[in-house]
Amino acid sequence: MKKLDNTLIIGIGNNTRQDDGLGWGFIELLENYGFNTEHLLCKYQLMVEDAELISNYKNVIFVDACKSELKKGFTIEPILATEQVTFSTHEVPPNQILHLCESIYNKKPIATLIKIQGYNWDFEIQLSEQAKTNLNNAFYYFLNKSLSLQTK
Amino acid sequence: MKPKKITIDPVTRVEGHGKVTIQLNSKGKVENAYFHVVEFRGFEKFIQGHPYWEVPIIVQRLCGICPVSHHLAAAKAIDQLVGVDPENLSPTATKLRKLLHYGQIFQSHALHFFYLASPDLLFGIDAPAEKRNIVAVAAENKELAKKGILMRKFGQEIIYALSGKKIHGSLAVPGGVHKTFTNEERDYFLDGKQIPNIDTMISWAKEVVDFIKSYHLENSEWLDNFASYPSNHLSLVDRNTGALELYDGNLRSIDYEGNELLNIEDIDYRNNFKEAVERWSYMKFPYMTKYGREKGWNRVGPLARLNTCSHITTPLAETERQLFKVQTKNKPNNMTMHTHWARLIELLHCAENIKELLLDDDIMGTDLIRKGTPRKKGIGVIEAPRGTLIHEYHIDDKGLITKCNLIVSTTHNNEALNRGVRTVAQSLLNDTLEITEPMLNQIEMAIRAYDPCLSCATHALGQMPLIVQLEDNQGNLIHEKIR
Repeated sequence: MKKLDNTLIIGIGNNTRQDDGLGWGFIELLENYGFNTEHLLCKYQLMVEDAELISNYKNVIFVDACKSELKKGFTIEPILATEQVTFSTHEVPPNQILHLCESIYNKKPIATLIKIQGYNWDFEIQLSEQAKTNLNNAFYYFLNKSLSLQTK
Repeated sequence: MKPKKITIDPVTRVEGHGKVTIQLNSKGKVENAYFHVVEFRGFEKFIQGHPYWEVPIIVQRLCGICPVSHHLAAAKAIDQLVGVDPENLSPTATKLRKLLHYGQIFQSHALHFFYLASPDLLFGIDAPAEKRNIVAVAAENKELAKKGILMRKFGQEIIYALSGKKIHGSLAVPGGVHKTFTNEERDYFLDGKQIPNIDTMISWAKEVVDFIKSYHLENSEWLDNFASYPSNHLSLVDRNTGALELYDGNLRSIDYEGNELLNIEDIDYRNNFKEAVERWSYMKFPYMTKYGREKGWNRVGPLARLNTCSHITTPLAETERQLFKVQTKNKPNNMTMHTHWARLIELLHCAENIKELLLDDDIMGTDLIRKGTPRKKGIGVIEAPRGTLIHEYHIDDKGLITKCNLIVSTTHNNEALNRGVRTVAQSLLNDTLEITEPMLNQIEMAIRAYDPCLSCATHALGQMPLIVQLEDNQGNLIHEKIR
């Protein structure tokens, strides 16, 4: 069983909304690749209690679909806690979760956001072809990077 | 002056995506207010062609906040397709489903109070937008925030223990449940060694009921009057006693004075309800057929449930219900903001019920699935956190879904939501065309009282700004504000 040390990976989305399932698709690939499912999670959206969840990890990786155009079809970037709040609390962005984690639990996990570009968002359990390509590219890029980090 | 239209899109802190349009007349007075919704777009069509046994799993994708409610409503309907009515389910299956249901309502009510309502209540309607959120609550009330998180977590853990996942796991199967409860699982919730136990949950639920009572003492004027208006109230009640019932019972409706309008078998809803449509909303307007579109609409949810029931079966919640009823001299309560109060009494009721079920050995039984004579139609009705939820399915000879009809809680509350918005808009916008933050928040607050679940807008990153638009009567954009 493959395992990333003290790392939680959260796929965000909804696989019945076509490319909104990209986050879950990423988790599925990790599962299929033999990663320990204990630290892999699929969620519709982040909620405030996730601040408590991530406080138990050293690293946390959020994976979500993105409507904006991304040059390579995906990006992997670090994210930092921020006090800035959006208007909607039903959809708490990762940097707010990090901020809550810091302010309530005094913990600062290292956080990374993987954005994968999607194209279609209707009711259907099927990723678009281009989204599948982006997903695979993001996955193998992540895999190579994380495995090379582990061997260092 | 030309008539103008003010648009707020989307409504904040509401599950999913909605839009409010306030139309002013030529004198600058509010002429009308509409709450637009794009909900369940195509889902009833999407489900067609799927085998019926997949339905309780698939329908959970409707909503990330209350997937369990959809799972159980669908399961009740699917039971009938295999010839099993609620009373024929085994005691173990019924009690495990109820435990799941109470866990869901407990976590959902905790979510609403701590995350959505508390910023309004703690900081007030005039507080700046950047302060009216859970992050600010957490910053100023760390212990309250922690309790909120742990209460929600407790409900989520109940769901996880029963269904294997915190969202869209699976407990119910046609005619019953697929797993029983173990001693180890029961101890997890009772002994308090790994998480705060059920007694702590009851104690915390009681604390928040006490909080809302104290809050009411200090803020009764606006809590009693804000967005209040008379309406009918609808919910399930116990078939025999009229008690508060969340899983299975009769559908009972009363008018704003308490006169009974309807008391029917839940599966008989088709013969007693119709759904109207309006050109400006995807969401339908259900009403009781014999009272018509204008007089036959109902409010549903915690306030309605406390109005339609005769009593509550758990002692602490019943005591609180009686105190709640004192506010209206035992008459129905039509004060919209009292919905928060009612919701917290239900939170306490759910905690008490969870304890009762955890101590019941039936939940560890092995009689899990029953069978009967298959049928072609099934109707499942439950009380979801936000109100009455109806699922109806028809199948063909191969067991594939040919027809589906869903009436969700928010749909029942459609007319009530519109009335609430209109009531607030008329009181706020008659003398000025300037849209201030407190004004926006009050309109949203009237909507949030119902905790509407507009559900499952695609939550891809970077797609949910708050846009305020001012348009003339031709639809031309005069002013736009993005928050």
